[in-house]
Amino acid sequence: MIEATHLTKRYGAKTAVDDASFTVRPGIVTGFLGPNGAGKSTTMRMIVGLDRPSSGAVTLNGTRYAELKAPLREVGVLLDAKAVHPGRSARGHLLALAATHGIPRSRVDEVIHLTGLDAVAGKRVKGFSLGMGQRLGIAAALLGDPATLILDEPVNGLDPEGVIWVRKLARHLASEGRTVFLSSHLMSEMAQTADHIIVLGRGRVIADAPVAEIVASATGQSAVRVRSPHADRLAAAIAGENGTATADASGLTVTGIPAERIGELAARDGLVLHELTPVAGSLEDAYLALTQDEVEYHAGGEAA
Amino acid sequence: MTATTETTRPTASALADAHLTAGGILRSEWVKLLTLRSTWWCLGVIVALTAGIPLLISLAIGDAQALPGDAGADFGYYNWMNATVLPVGFSVLAAAVLGCLVITGEYGTGMIRSTMTAAPGRLGALLAKALVIGAVIFVASFVALVIGAALSGAVLGAKGYTIDPGDGRVWVTLLSAAGYPALVAVFSVGVGAIIRNSAGAIASVLGLLLVVPTILQLVGALLKADWAFDVGAFLPSSLGTTMYTPVIDLGGMSFSQGSVELAPWSAALAMLAWAVAALAGGAALVKRRDV
Repeated sequence: MIEATHLTKRYGAKTAVDDASFTVRPGIVTGFLGPNGAGKSTTMRMIVGLDRPSSGAVTLNGTRYAELKAPLREVGVLLDAKAVHPGRSARGHLLALAATHGIPRSRVDEVIHLTGLDAVAGKRVKGFSLGMGQRLGIAAALLGDPATLILDEPVNGLDPEGVIWVRKLARHLASEGRTVFLSSHLMSEMAQTADHIIVLGRGRVIADAPVAEIVASATGQSAVRVRSPHADRLAAAIAGENGTATADASGLTVTGIPAERIGELAARDGLVLHELTPVAGSLEDAYLALTQDEVEYHAGGEAA
Repeated sequence: MTATTETTRPTASALADAHLTAGGILRSEWVKLLTLRSTWWCLGVIVALTAGIPLLISLAIGDAQALPGDAGADFGYYNWMNATVLPVGFSVLAAAVLGCLVITGEYGTGMIRSTMTAAPGRLGALLAKALVIGAVIFVASFVALVIGAALSGAVLGAKGYTIDPGDGRVWVTLLSAAGYPALVAVFSVGVGAIIRNSAGAIASVLGLLLVVPTILQLVGALLKADWAFDVGAFLPSSLGTTMYTPVIDLGGMSFSQGSVELAPWSAALAMLAWAVAALAGGAALVKRRDV
């Protein structure tokens, strides 16, 4: 269980995390979603005490990270694949971390096997691919068999097989009753893995709900595709009901009134319909809708 | 690729009492030091210089004059130990580099984040680094000095010098000559913690050891400024020389410039103060700053 209360982090004039309060519960995968630069990594660093909050607090099962008796037993963290000295072997890295807590060598071998690093464990990390580095980071996170796992962008740089592996691992860890907190800037990734999603935009929590609920809230604003040989008359009827119809080459996109009502309007006025399709909002749309004002760096444009 | 359907739980219950301990943090820093090649390069340089140079010097030294009794013992001790401790002036540079790298290497690579999440008290990890590197440099230097003394002693003994390993002064000299680079390494850990960048930290420490003394010497000589010599006597390089250079009674002759004349043990204390001060400064910043 991770509990953040009014967590705030400022760097000079810039506020990276702005009054974020949320709870991450055990037994499910909680996704931490937001555009790049939204403050996800900063939040995760504050959870494990690397960054000091400007104000607010975050606890793990009621205790601040720095006060834990056995941090590696309580929390496993993958901050980024580069938290490793490239001159050291994978096994050497894990042995050094294990030594702090008196974790036996047999457990080091176990996590090496678990993450599929057996063949490269004796090699220096310098020559590792991004994917192997990511696996080593996950091995380090699992070392203490922790009750809570915090994984920052775990699928970054992984090949498709690796992505599926992380996805299954996250679900498996949650099924063992652990708290799994997983960040990504990719909505599609979250849709596949998470049960619950916390969306961060410009440092603020802008949504905190089960995946289904977030999709449902997006469908409320969904559109309807309409094709009709009487598009002009239909558009007028829709406008009369306070709906909005936008014409394009293939037909109308209608928002503001449901598909059923459009069908009734067409029947009332005797208009022929060739197509009447509600376009369900996807998680991707929901995400874009939520974060469109919160993206700090728009492609090719000025900062929003 | 391993299927993740197998359990992620440990097969042994040995993890149950695993927790963070001071001894564990020390062991971790020990493992970290020994699992990097840069460590072995630096230690190799230290041992090769410290054990090898005395042999070359002793081969170059001429035969002993015949001196009676105590004078002969003093003369033998003086030449033997001077030949033995001379390379410390070079090996200390490798100790300084290694001391910096122990911590700046972690900042440079991101390893520091793993270190500080495993030991979130932060100061434990910093102190463990200083202790481990200090101890390793001390032991490696001492062993190399003993080897160097044995080699040069054998050569000098054959040239008629009085070589007496039973002379207590010999061991005090060897221990001091090992202590100086160890303290410089600890000092370097402190500087590394403050600067957090390998190039910057190494340049600072080597500058202090090599460049600052020369500048003070120049200022002192050109401006006839005694204060420059007095300050210079408290620089690590001078303190080190004072700590381990063999001293014999030369009948009232003195080569010191300025008004400061430190005893070897007070020089050792002053060097310890440098190390503690740098470490304290580093500790305060490491505790306060974000990792």
